[in-house]
Amino acid sequence: MLSKLKTNILNKIPDNNRYERIWKIAQVDFKKRYFNTKLGLLWALINPLFRLFVFYFVFAWIGRMRGDNFGIYIFGALIVWMSFMETTSAGIRLLHAKKYLLMNIQFNKLDLFISNTTAGFMGFLFNLVAYMIISIGVGIPIIPDIVWLPLLVINLYILTLGVSLILAVINIYLKDIHHVWSMYSLLGFWTMPSIFPMERFTGYLEILLWINPVAGILVNIRNILFYGKPIEWKFFFYNFALAILFYLIGEYLLNKHWQNSLEKA
Amino acid sequence: MNQQNDEIVVRLKNVSKTFFSKQNPSVSIRDLALGLFNRRKEVKVVKALQNINLEIRKGETFGIIGSNGSGKSTLIHLMMQSMKPDEGATIETKGVMLRLALGMGMDPNLSARENIFVNGSILGLSFSHISSIFDEIIAYANIEDFVDTPVKHFSKGMHARLKFSIALHANAEILLLDEFFGGVGDQDFRKKSTRAFKKVILQGKTIIMVSHAVQNVKKHCERAIWIDKGIIKMEGAADAVVDAYIENFKLLEAKKELEEKELKEKKRNRRKKRNAE
Repeated sequence: MLSKLKTNILNKIPDNNRYERIWKIAQVDFKKRYFNTKLGLLWALINPLFRLFVFYFVFAWIGRMRGDNFGIYIFGALIVWMSFMETTSAGIRLLHAKKYLLMNIQFNKLDLFISNTTAGFMGFLFNLVAYMIISIGVGIPIIPDIVWLPLLVINLYILTLGVSLILAVINIYLKDIHHVWSMYSLLGFWTMPSIFPMERFTGYLEILLWINPVAGILVNIRNILFYGKPIEWKFFFYNFALAILFYLIGEYLLNKHWQNSLEKA
Repeated sequence: MNQQNDEIVVRLKNVSKTFFSKQNPSVSIRDLALGLFNRRKEVKVVKALQNINLEIRKGETFGIIGSNGSGKSTLIHLMMQSMKPDEGATIETKGVMLRLALGMGMDPNLSARENIFVNGSILGLSFSHISSIFDEIIAYANIEDFVDTPVKHFSKGMHARLKFSIALHANAEILLLDEFFGGVGDQDFRKKSTRAFKKVILQGKTIIMVSHAVQNVKKHCERAIWIDKGIIKMEGAADAVVDAYIENFKLLEAKKELEEKELKEKKRNRRKKRNAE
């Protein structure tokens, strides 16, 4: 029944082989990432949970920084930021990792990046569901603005895809971009309201929310799922536009430069 | 002999490829920063291909021969469009092109099953189609007992059989065989592949064969080119091109032998002279 429905839906989409292909590569990437390990998909959750434990220990117990549901507050930031960083970091070496396909088969190279981002987001969605269950469990109300949540996830997806494309092209010419990116991982995480409350990001510090393209998305996800507040449209539109801009730049750069990846390898 | 027609599926016009390799290329930010103060860098220019003009028709079996470093691989990369040619070149291809080379095109960490699905779907097959021909692919490759084994544990022969089997069943219109048969010692597979070859030709697929084993080119191809130091030295019927290549090879070998002989003779004379003194 389900497979019949799936076939029917796929038949309605033009050029459905492309979606199948993207899905297949995403599936095997996802499987390679998690299922070759003993704990499998649980690693997608264990990793942010472990970091949560460390941050909670440092800030809540040692630093005595306690607010209501402080752990959930940090957990939200961790799953968003780690998903963004892990997927973009995998994207950096994608042209190299998939050289075996690039050299031998003609196909749209963008599909590799869509698959990589999709594989990364499978883990993210798993964590997001876990986060929502915990939030509801501790009594955080569900507000009507939750209908915007899928749009915020799509925003994060496009942004991740765009940044992955740009980084992969930079990596053709500058192999140590992954070191720079791992440093940015630290910088980006601490310059957005991941641990510290939003109130600290006022005045001249508000600019940090505009510089980091993930910050606005996190603020809105938190508004919906943590504070039960409506989303901030200024961030929503700005971040969506920024994500599309990154994507367009990334796609242009990929088309122009991917052929150099073999020469420079 | 086959379903060859006048439709041109690969056209190369004025194709050249120059590699610029810096003595110490800037691949890291440190190199880039240091490079700002040290602008004089030796750039080695390698003209891998020069002014190649070529037309391959649909359904043709076309051979490319040449010694190591003659530019064969570069030509293949350019045809696959996985490399950019120099300015002013035109490369046109019609139909999906698949390159078959030993040990390439498959993710070693994935199983045969997963590799078939990934490769098949990239080659334009739907999942339902791949499922319907899956058993056939496995049976042809003769790996029934290793369907879910990661490909990294496969032997060279199993690898080649699986790749060839995927290529036969996929709907790639142009097959680029890059030294594909040279490395497989499996007699059975060679026989099988010869039969499959004929089947593929009957299907109207275009085959471009790059090989050191020139007898294979002579056996299977109608036309061929001989590339030497980046230029087409000869183009024409495969028999004639291969014969000329072998002739030239023999000549070079004989010349080399003669030179070696002369060198040895000189050394011996010198030694004799020294002993006499």
